[in-house]
Amino acid sequence: MRNLFDFLLKYSHCFLFVLLEVVCFVLLFRFNNYQASVYFTSANRVCGTIYEISGDIAGYFHLQSVNDSLTDRNLDLEREVATLRTALTEMTRDSARTDSLTEASLADFTRIKARVVNNTLHRADNFITIDRGNADSIRPEMGVVCGNGVIGIVGKTTPHYALVISLLNSKSNISCKIKSSGYFGYLRWDGKDARYTYLYDLPRHAECHPGDTIVTSGYSAIFPEGLMVGVVENIEDSHDGLSYLLKVRLSADFGRVRDVRVIARKGMDEFKTLTTINE
Amino acid sequence: MQSQHLKQGIWFIALVLVQSLIFNHVHIAGYATPFVYVYFILSLKCDTPRNALLLWGFTLGLAVDIFSDTPGMNAAATTLLAFIRPWLLNLFMSHDNAGNECPCRHVMGLASFLGYAILGILIHHAVLLLLDTFSFFNWGMLLLKTVCSTALTTICVLITDTMQKQR
Repeated sequence: MRNLFDFLLKYSHCFLFVLLEVVCFVLLFRFNNYQASVYFTSANRVCGTIYEISGDIAGYFHLQSVNDSLTDRNLDLEREVATLRTALTEMTRDSARTDSLTEASLADFTRIKARVVNNTLHRADNFITIDRGNADSIRPEMGVVCGNGVIGIVGKTTPHYALVISLLNSKSNISCKIKSSGYFGYLRWDGKDARYTYLYDLPRHAECHPGDTIVTSGYSAIFPEGLMVGVVENIEDSHDGLSYLLKVRLSADFGRVRDVRVIARKGMDEFKTLTTINE
Repeated sequence: MQSQHLKQGIWFIALVLVQSLIFNHVHIAGYATPFVYVYFILSLKCDTPRNALLLWGFTLGLAVDIFSDTPGMNAAATTLLAFIRPWLLNLFMSHDNAGNECPCRHVMGLASFLGYAILGILIHHAVLLLLDTFSFFNWGMLLLKTVCSTALTTICVLITDTMQKQR
């Protein structure tokens, strides 16, 4: 008995090592399906606050370029609104009806303003932390967009922060389509360049050209149809040769994303219950 | 003794913050990221008990993990580094000065310290980056990342070491 005790004491560091490594690997591999694990991420209170302060400071250095891109975007949109308005008045004289139509399509979604407090680009699984959480009625599986395009999907939330699974994550999987032709596939990142991602499973007979716009397909409850994602960079065959693989240049600059909107569909719970019943 | 613990605590917090706020965002050419926080484990006193070393390594790794949303990844690598540190020290440090000293350039000499640091950092980074790129497995990329990051971290550790001794 004493020998056994001595033995255990002498090699206690080995046992401790094994124990700690087991803890590490449990954390590592169960991260995604273990709800409490959100407290081991930067969405917890302490990290969130520290990142918020550092983000506030760093944010000032980007104000100039953010302003520039917003002004550009504003100009584009104003011009577009002007042309659309003239087209609209020409097409329909009955303006009351079209007004109510636009309202109806937007009424489905609420938008919540949020700010990015932490962001990574160069890991295999990138996450973004934003400064709104449960208390601001943000729930997992809501979409996140910035001015230029789609950013990702809310993964986990704490009362005041939320962890967003960015498009640059091996687990991110978003249904997208080509705007002009309507053919769809799913978007997944290959873990290399933060500026590009790939659209998988596009059928062989689909028409697509470099320069085509890729938008969200609207086939899930997360994103409405037609949100900008990126532009086709080039077209390759998929690894099994059964479909096309499109390299997509992301329209959102993930390197300096700061102000985002979380979009939530009203009646998302209803949609979810409906799909679960269906399964 | 008290001030020693206090100093260690401050170092710990400072390294975690510096790592997560600054160095985690450094990606030279997309390959090299310095993980300077390992300096804390490398520079713990030679006579630190093994169990204490392991706990320090685990806590440090976990703290960095929490800040960078990679639960378990840094903790696993850093615990391993803490586990093999006694053997590394045996390998590179002559036994007559292995007492109440910190392994640093002045105690070990530049060549031994470099060997000790490079080997430790290389093992740590290999494990860390292997765990990181698990889902996109690619030997060439992994090797390149490990070598570049090891070089960068070693330089940073040398600079930190020099700065700390000058104070």
